[in-house]
Amino acid sequence: MDTEIIEGLKKAIKEYDTEKAANLAKRAVEEKLDPLKVLNAMTVAIREVGDAFGRGDLWLPDLVGAADALQAAMPIIEEEIKRTGAKRESLGTVVAGTVFGDIHSIGKTMVCTLLTAEGFKVHDLGVNIKAEQFVEAIDKYNADILAMSALMTMTAPEQKKVIERLKKEGLRDKVKIMVGGGAITEDFAREIGADGYDPTAPGAVKLARKLIGK
Amino acid sequence: MLKGFTRNFKPLEILSEGELEAIHRGTLSVLRKTGVRFESKKALKLFEKNGCQVDYTDNRVRFPEGLVEECLRKCPSSFRVKARNPKNDMIWGGNTVYFQALSGTRSVDLDTWEPKTPTRKEYYDAITCLDALENVHIIPWYTPWFGFKNIPSVMAMPEGLAARLRNSSKFTCSNYSMGCEVFNIQMAKAVGAELRSSMAASPPLTFYEDAVENAFRTVEAGFILLITSGSVYGGTSPATIAGSLISGNAEIMAGIVLAQLIKPGTRIIVQDFSFPQNMRSGSPGFGAIEISLHQVAFNQIWRRYKIPIDGGVSYPGSKKIDYQAGYEKAIIALIGALSGTNTIWIQGAMYGELAFHPVLAIIDDDMVGMIGRFLRGILVNDETMALDLIDEVGPIPGYYLNKEHTRKWWKLEQFIPRVADRLTYPEWLKGGKKDCLSLAKERYQKILSTHKVDPPLTQSQEEEIERILKEARKYYRKKGLISNAEWEAYMEDLKSPDYPYA
Repeated sequence: MDTEIIEGLKKAIKEYDTEKAANLAKRAVEEKLDPLKVLNAMTVAIREVGDAFGRGDLWLPDLVGAADALQAAMPIIEEEIKRTGAKRESLGTVVAGTVFGDIHSIGKTMVCTLLTAEGFKVHDLGVNIKAEQFVEAIDKYNADILAMSALMTMTAPEQKKVIERLKKEGLRDKVKIMVGGGAITEDFAREIGADGYDPTAPGAVKLARKLIGK
Repeated sequence: MLKGFTRNFKPLEILSEGELEAIHRGTLSVLRKTGVRFESKKALKLFEKNGCQVDYTDNRVRFPEGLVEECLRKCPSSFRVKARNPKNDMIWGGNTVYFQALSGTRSVDLDTWEPKTPTRKEYYDAITCLDALENVHIIPWYTPWFGFKNIPSVMAMPEGLAARLRNSSKFTCSNYSMGCEVFNIQMAKAVGAELRSSMAASPPLTFYEDAVENAFRTVEAGFILLITSGSVYGGTSPATIAGSLISGNAEIMAGIVLAQLIKPGTRIIVQDFSFPQNMRSGSPGFGAIEISLHQVAFNQIWRRYKIPIDGGVSYPGSKKIDYQAGYEKAIIALIGALSGTNTIWIQGAMYGELAFHPVLAIIDDDMVGMIGRFLRGILVNDETMALDLIDEVGPIPGYYLNKEHTRKWWKLEQFIPRVADRLTYPEWLKGGKKDCLSLAKERYQKILSTHKVDPPLTQSQEEEIERILKEARKYYRKKGLISNAEWEAYMEDLKSPDYPYA
């Protein structure tokens, strides 16, 4: 039974089946499966998809489809981890989002998916996120990394505002900050005081590991 | 009046009547059934008052077909627009085709091909170049670049417009960001020019408040409104071209209804700014052939509604001025021109809108010349058929080079590029083996040393532009949108000899 649910869940993620993934996650909770074991299986599945994307065997719609299926199951399992008080292991906690004034989500979603696949605990705040929302989430989730995206030159300066806000709140040194998006360059990242920049999603994963020394 | 080019033959069409009608019906059904989200209370109220069904819980507007069709009919099919110099006024619509420069977020180093931020001087010089190029008819917003060194991003648009008004008298445009359209409209009025400004949908099926607010301001100022659908098919519209056309056209039609409700008879241009999604990187598929398929169908549909069209965005995917950039630009621009768009974006950009260089604009200007010549077609009359001349010359040893007919007609028939290499091998070898890129670099220097804007702004116009800019600087500084460090660098920049206006 356990194997059936876990293998089914992995399959659902790899076949982009959101509904099935959510249902199997619920069943895993009902059947009292070890939520950490379930989470691990989900991470394995999304890693396989991420690797296939990296190799060029899968494409963006596949990656996003798998991410959706993962997201459908994730809160159910996370809730169960919290309820049972199980200790979740992760490489680190990431708070991510696209900055205020910018509604572009694809690059940010790619990075979040690949970070999850790598073993990070990712809180994707979404798009159009104000400085105070980032600050609040960093505090709430005790984040190790803040990952911000901005596609447009007009919204890129918003990343700087978030960093300034973090300084003001005394949280700047608590997190490593990585930035990305079409409008961002290495120079810009340095100028605004970010800890790192990478133009690609797989590169962002390597950067995240480097930033926290893992 | 700037005549641009005239397409003297039937446009290329790829949809059958039945397919055209199916897309038209489909679009109306999306507007009626799915509706479009407007993040603007003002717009929602106006729609409701005029018979649309408005759902205030998700700000969605559903449109009755009769109202949509009535508003489409209210858009003028052709109209004149005023540039700063009346010789650059244009008439939009019908078979006329104009070309406009593109823009880039950054400049590029022509040796290393690495992106770099332009300086104020480079920005002003690039405008001088675009003003000089005979086939650049419009210098739009963000052109040449989205901004330049030491300019806070909120001031990029007003500073850019001021630069274009100072160094060019061609028709220009402006866009919206953080309410800067208020200053842009004032500047255009101060120099007696009209502006084209945009209302861009945020696909799928959404208009945010800043776009709507700009539509109100533009229409109320009596300027021209460009309504844009810029979806990325597969991401923000269906992956199929037919589905993407329907979704995008529904957005544009919703925008048209708004504009015509604000002020009936408003001059509208519809814009196709769509790209297939690059399914590897997630970025728009610059240079892709699907852009042309989308464009041809878009042109066919909107010619049927008799509303002027802007499209054929010839962004290459290449990061260099190279063979790929050339064929991507040429194919997109040529197909756009053949299929009946009224304006094509082309000169100067490489790698989508991420880089621009005036030297590339010079090369592109030759390409536009070629396309423009093609559009003019073949003139067939007694004089061009030349039956009497053929009879007079007869077989060899007769020839045509010494005939008056040749002297008169060859220049009218042939387009002569300015920087393309058309030399013979011996001439080319002897001349230093120059390619079009090195010839364009030479032409750029020549333009900068000889071209003068006609006319320059008058003293009082200059003062008024600077007064409006000062007001904008003060406004954004007060709003906290320019930080101390940005302000310091900005103020220092204004003291430089490259800025004699302060």
